[in-house]
Amino acid sequence: MHISAAPTPIVSPNITPEAGPSTVPFKANGHTTNGATNGFVSSTTPSPSSNGLTHRPLITRVNLPGSTLYDDSHIDREEFVRLVIQTLRDVGYTQSATTLEEESGYAMETPPVAHFRRKVLEGAWQEAVDALADLGLAEDSGLTEAKCLIIQQKYLELLETGKTTEALHILRDELASLHPDATHLHFLSGLLMCTDAADLQQRASWDGAEGSSRRRLLVDLQHWIPSSIMIPPRRFPALLDQALRYQSSQCLWHNTPARSLSLYNDHHCEDDLFPRHNTFNLVSHEDEVWNLEWSHTGRRLATASQDKSVIVWSVEQADGEVTIQPQLHLKDHPFAVGCVAWSFDDTVLLSSSDHIIKMWDTKTGSCIRSIETAHTETVSALAWVPDGSGFVSGSQDRKIILWGADGKQRDSWGFTPIRITDLAISADYTRLVAVGECAPSPSALGGPSSSREDSATPPAPGRTAFAGATSSSPRLGEYQMIVYDPRTKQMDFAVPLEGQLTSVKISADSRYALINNAPDEIHLWDLLTQRMVRKYTGQRQGRHIIRSCFGGVDENFIVSGSEGAIYVWHRVRGMLLIVLEGHGPGSVNSVAWNPRFPQMFASCSDDYTVRIWQAIPAVKLAFASTSDGIDAGAGDGVSGKGKGKRREPWDNPSSL
Amino acid sequence: MGMTYRRYLAGARVYGCSNCRTHLSTINSMISKAFHGQHGRAYLFEEVVNVIEGEPVDRQMTTGNHTVRDIECVKCHVILGWKYDFAYDSDQKYKEGKYILERNLLVDVQ
Repeated sequence: MHISAAPTPIVSPNITPEAGPSTVPFKANGHTTNGATNGFVSSTTPSPSSNGLTHRPLITRVNLPGSTLYDDSHIDREEFVRLVIQTLRDVGYTQSATTLEEESGYAMETPPVAHFRRKVLEGAWQEAVDALADLGLAEDSGLTEAKCLIIQQKYLELLETGKTTEALHILRDELASLHPDATHLHFLSGLLMCTDAADLQQRASWDGAEGSSRRRLLVDLQHWIPSSIMIPPRRFPALLDQALRYQSSQCLWHNTPARSLSLYNDHHCEDDLFPRHNTFNLVSHEDEVWNLEWSHTGRRLATASQDKSVIVWSVEQADGEVTIQPQLHLKDHPFAVGCVAWSFDDTVLLSSSDHIIKMWDTKTGSCIRSIETAHTETVSALAWVPDGSGFVSGSQDRKIILWGADGKQRDSWGFTPIRITDLAISADYTRLVAVGECAPSPSALGGPSSSREDSATPPAPGRTAFAGATSSSPRLGEYQMIVYDPRTKQMDFAVPLEGQLTSVKISADSRYALINNAPDEIHLWDLLTQRMVRKYTGQRQGRHIIRSCFGGVDENFIVSGSEGAIYVWHRVRGMLLIVLEGHGPGSVNSVAWNPRFPQMFASCSDDYTVRIWQAIPAVKLAFASTSDGIDAGAGDGVSGKGKGKRREPWDNPSSL
Repeated sequence: MGMTYRRYLAGARVYGCSNCRTHLSTINSMISKAFHGQHGRAYLFEEVVNVIEGEPVDRQMTTGNHTVRDIECVKCHVILGWKYDFAYDSDQKYKEGKYILERNLLVDVQ
């Protein structure tokens, strides 16, 4: 490995300020004219033998005037150089980092900080605690709190290795006297009861001495140690990430994966990357198409229709050419089909037909199970549990039921306060969001004396898991969003909302819920702060069940059907970006963004068709290249007879 | 037409389709019990939900000539009664826009 020193600074005073590190000739005599005043100066006399490198050139210290990176810049040179050194060292360019420290005169951190960091990572707790004083922490500025964190880690590690007696001593003699928070101490002492290390790690949300817990401890300790003394981890990349995120957020048509962003230029997406072209028109259904969902591979699309059937379409690509064929036609439904849901591994497809739920083998197209008596009214939502262990159904009969992957009932919420019109489960399984119309409880009705008003009382205690949690008394005909914790079935919160709620989707980060609010609004709710953060307007849906979705890279877009066209908004800015015409008369009932190919989505309509929307042909090649290695799914020969595939020309002006 | 869910009614007494229990009307909406249909007694209602109205036809009834539409259950498509569009006799005008449901095809639901 050839070690080269940093490039020789340009000394010509004629050079433009942007071109070099300095516009002023530097003094090469090693005087510390700067840096020493506000930072840590590493050894100015590097010894060639100090790191074992025999051929290491002598590094000359470069002294620059001023304290900023450039004359006309606000960026502090010392901060910048220290972040560069940290990054170099992080990725393994340790000799370059050392060279830069010597040439610049700035050290990434002082020896006491390095010592402290090493001791924490080694688990030398007493030395780590002793070292805190050298980091400028005092009794009144976090010393106690930092000590607590360190000793707590020591305590947990003793417990992890089964040294319960020692741990108990630590708890009694060290932690108890230091810790101000009795409830936290109580929690810590409770951990003594853990059966084994795994139990401890789970209960303490802590991943053990061998895990990342020591590094996380360092991050936590950072709170008390000034950042200028101990730089937060990966600080430089964090800043660059912020810059890229900001650029993406400013890019109106942003639909490019983060990995293809470059630091060399400010990012900007052309609007051609947006799938605005109607490339396929799938026409096999014989009645209105009401709902649709992509498989997790993005290679199959299930569509649900009023014609009492589900069609599974396969999306194939060969030689860069995309073809779409009907693969399975699941006909055995007694009523119109309202919902479809792919299992985690795409092997099972659920469909709902009025009050009936059916499970289908997606390889053979045979019906695995038909659930006909659990719900008494229309099943309005089907959602798989994220780990694939089962699914949840929600119905107009107000019930939410949890099913195993085998189709056997595992649990039930009983009667909720609402006739459910839709529900969704977050990817992290912490939230189940149900929307629907407030309804009287059957238990509160019956007697001829019970008036309309009386019947709006919440269900009787004991009947349901959430009983008593309803603080507001819902009015009949009013719609509510109710957020549950699906693990406990407990209600997190409920919000009465104006208008008719017809659809709910949850963002990939599990934090936001997108809700269609008929007749003419779509609301984005922050489930963490329990506030509505954005409204999207422009579309109309009357009293029909119209659904929307998140779409694009980073879910940058909001897409919805409407009475007539497809509407697309910028998610963060709330601005209406485009209205895609193309479907025939009637409503566009639902839209679904392809989970694997962010430049493709599908829509379905009252006009009996399903339409595929893609970006321009140049981007179609990107589709081809990203689909490598993806299993085409169960491609076992259901012949499509070419029916249903009507190719729209790329330059079809009507799709614009 | 687009997708809609069936409507649900609330009140002291909700009448539903005897075949599939789809909500149809309430006792608050009832105008008269003194009607006769094809299956015996029938009720006149101000408002009925979850039905599909057929084509208008002129039909001679015991109280005179009327333009009516058959109404069927939106879920199971059983013919439940009819709706009065127009009454030729001036003293039967009060029935216009109202619905007849056959008592034998109704069931109490909640």
